[in-house]
Amino acid sequence: MDNLSKIQSESKTKIKTATTSAELEKVHIELLGRHGLLHKLFSDIKNQPDPKAYGQQLNRLKNEIEELINKKSLSVETHDRASPQKNNKTVFSLPKLGHLHPITITERQLNELFRKLGFSLYDGPEIETDEYCFQRLNVPIDHPSREMQDSIYIHEPEHLLRTQTSSIEARLLTQEKPPFKAAFPGRTYRNEKVTKSNHFIFHQYQGVAVDKNITLKDAIGTFNTLFKGLYGNDVHARYRCKYYPEVEPGMGFDLECFSCHGAGCSICKGAGWIEMGGAGIIHPKVLTMAGIDPKIWRGFAFALGLDRWVMAKFNIKDIRTLLGGNLAYKPNEP
Amino acid sequence: MKIIYSHLKTWLPDLAIDAKKLRDDLTLIGHFSSGYEEIDSEIILDLEIRQNRADCLGYYGIARDLAVFYKINLVLPQINTINYSNTPVPITISSPDVHRIQATSISNIKNSLPPDWLIRFLKLHDINSINTLVDLTNFIMLEWGIPCHAFDTNKSTKLIWENNQRYSEFISLDGTKIKLQPQNLVISDGKEVLSLSFIGGQNSGINLDTTDSILEMAVYNRSRVRNDSRSLKTITEASIRLDKELDTETIPLAFSHLISLILKHCHAIVSGKLLDVYPVKIPPLPIAFDSQKPSLYAGIDIPQNDTLKRLGCTIKNNLITPPSLRKDLTIEEDLIEEILRFYGYNKIPTDQPVDPTPLPDITPPILYLIEKLKDDLVALGYDEVRSWPLVRHCEEPCDAAISTQNSINSDYPYLRQSIIQSLQNQYFQYEKYKLINQKFYEIGKIFSLENGQYIEKYALGMYNSDSEELSRDARSCVSTDKIKLDGSFAQIILDDLPKPDKYIPQIINNTAIELTSQIITLDANVSYDSPQDSTKLIEKYTSLIDPSILWSIEIADIYQNRYTFRVSYYNCDALTAKKVHLNTFNLN
Ligand SMILES: [Zn+2]
Repeated sequence: MDNLSKIQSESKTKIKTATTSAELEKVHIELLGRHGLLHKLFSDIKNQPDPKAYGQQLNRLKNEIEELINKKSLSVETHDRASPQKNNKTVFSLPKLGHLHPITITERQLNELFRKLGFSLYDGPEIETDEYCFQRLNVPIDHPSREMQDSIYIHEPEHLLRTQTSSIEARLLTQEKPPFKAAFPGRTYRNEKVTKSNHFIFHQYQGVAVDKNITLKDAIGTFNTLFKGLYGNDVHARYRCKYYPEVEPGMGFDLECFSCHGAGCSICKGAGWIEMGGAGIIHPKVLTMAGIDPKIWRGFAFALGLDRWVMAKFNIKDIRTLLGGNLAYKPNEP
Repeated sequence: MKIIYSHLKTWLPDLAIDAKKLRDDLTLIGHFSSGYEEIDSEIILDLEIRQNRADCLGYYGIARDLAVFYKINLVLPQINTINYSNTPVPITISSPDVHRIQATSISNIKNSLPPDWLIRFLKLHDINSINTLVDLTNFIMLEWGIPCHAFDTNKSTKLIWENNQRYSEFISLDGTKIKLQPQNLVISDGKEVLSLSFIGGQNSGINLDTTDSILEMAVYNRSRVRNDSRSLKTITEASIRLDKELDTETIPLAFSHLISLILKHCHAIVSGKLLDVYPVKIPPLPIAFDSQKPSLYAGIDIPQNDTLKRLGCTIKNNLITPPSLRKDLTIEEDLIEEILRFYGYNKIPTDQPVDPTPLPDITPPILYLIEKLKDDLVALGYDEVRSWPLVRHCEEPCDAAISTQNSINSDYPYLRQSIIQSLQNQYFQYEKYKLINQKFYEIGKIFSLENGQYIEKYALGMYNSDSEELSRDARSCVSTDKIKLDGSFAQIILDDLPKPDKYIPQIINNTAIELTSQIITLDANVSYDSPQDSTKLIEKYTSLIDPSILWSIEIADIYQNRYTFRVSYYNCDALTAKKVHLNTFNLN
């Protein structure tokens, strides 16, 4: 292992002292090339006492060197302007347009529809406490629903990356005096592997309306207005009973599959419907914990998952694309 | 929970509804069924049973719900009266985590390979068949939702339920060694651990030679089972039931069903007394219920009906006592939900949204600032990107970086301390795809540890290869000296900036492209007799190229009526791009 830390510090120095892109390229080949130092070390893994740990260390070292070289190449480029294409200013092009990210576009459409229904926006931290992420939403420590949400901890068990935007709801209920209506888009985290179809970062869109006589009809009518605003009057939604700890009665809602129109296909796994989210009348315990008297006030809360929706709308096949850096926009087209 | 349609009918003989309608109705009343499949000429429905409805992790609970919904009769399995003997069962319960247990001894067992119907039944529920006796315990678990277990008493003559104090390990049925922890609920014979609450052990397992057995069915403190299952990293069909609130009152029915089946299929005799240890009986509490409330919550008039009675509630004036099975019914809202879900959420009108009258605006002004900046930057030609807030490396000072403790994406342990980190990664991604001359930005949180506090701030990051333009653009967006410029990158912390009281963003509807291969850029020289209109030229060539592979066209140079076109292609290989390019510009 001492050997590796020596290599690490030597590599760092080499990268640091390279001043032109040619020099940096030389260092790159020397360290990461096909006959480079790292390659040699990798082929020697099996002769190490603990090959697995050694391999992990090597991988980390390789990543680190890659990143350092990448970073460095930014600064040497400004020195010597290596790439001719970069240097070539074009004589004429159509105006280059700026673009919004598909998640922003979708959030804004929803924000606008909710604004017309008199909703504010709201916000909360991404590093949350167990209290606001779970307990104040009627999910005590040993509640069975905690199994479903494997959390990424910052400091176990107290601080974690929020697993749901309901934590914003918990803060809003505590901080504001009813009546209020607010919607809150946000990023959430679960401790899951990243694959083509699954991510550890999710985008949710959540909201609450608390007033004196809020009903399920208000909630259902609101979602239907929303879906019509987004998809036109022909949209077909389904509202059904579904348990969530923070609401009672609880509700799930689905849209008729945009691909098979209810007949059943691979996208909807034969169901004919696509799950859009959950909602319900805010649980009296949740209101009480926030200092709101459930005998006077009643509210609905809802949450939508945006990722699949955005992917379907923008024809994105791989969920990693949403945050992965290979999402781009045609420069001259809206 | 999977259910076999034909088997469900043994509980509900009057069920006369096709399987697809059944699937939709189950979904409507709260047991989401994504689809159904036909296996071995049986229709199987896969239900998502939510955590509050442990009673529905067996046919019994689901059939009870459906009997209420369709207003048909629930028919319990035929259970013969069991004649227990007077010989006490050698069981000691010394753990307070046992909420109820029934057990007895049986002898003269002729265990056998299971009958075909049983093998098939378990297989359709994804459970492996072992032998008749063990399979019957699994059958009963699926029927009633309560796990039960058989011990071979020739291998161990007494059983003790205790919280672990002295055992270090346990070997499960499949031979896996499980390291035990203090307080785990274990079943021992005083010398070694024979079983855990949710998984049987090798040293007391039933095989074809077993002649004597103790059979038991128990409900435990669910938190204990949950902790044991989690800390020992073992999940079983039994643990997913026992770690939820199960009904102690269902045990007598389910247990006698088990014994009656074993007597029948293993030709055994009962040689023990019925042990019934039930230390603390907690009867369901009555709930005060206002029968107007379902209508008030639904927002429509819900006619009075007998749903609660059909569910098995006891009704005394306005006091409703739920059946013991329904551990999830504890407050008035729970009863309201029962009435509404059987009435049907689908009967609530969908055309009236919440009263749209605006209430006081509680939007944090920083959200208005963010929306305004996004519009400003898009107008300046910048593309919005979004990236992982988790990064590989910390920045100086490293001890101010916040890191994750248990992320399985452990290559990215740090929360980013600057948005420039993210933009640099984006830059390299674009470079990898040969996308050049990009201008882009991200607005998102950055994180740091300050005086033991987790601090998050909103930051705007910008990239532009033209650093003069970058600085100009940044200053046109925010009037501040707080712009941090770093070559082609800029960062501005937004929290401290002046914020608008209100901002209504534009609705922009642009497309976005998922790049899967490199952009290929090719030049073409075309000479003309006279000066040309550049816009018209670009429009002409744009119309000639398939838009699904055309990224952009620019004019890179004009020299004595010779125009150099620079065309970028995407979504195709280099060969295709070259072919299209040569054809378009007549370069053959
Ligand atoms: Zn479909």
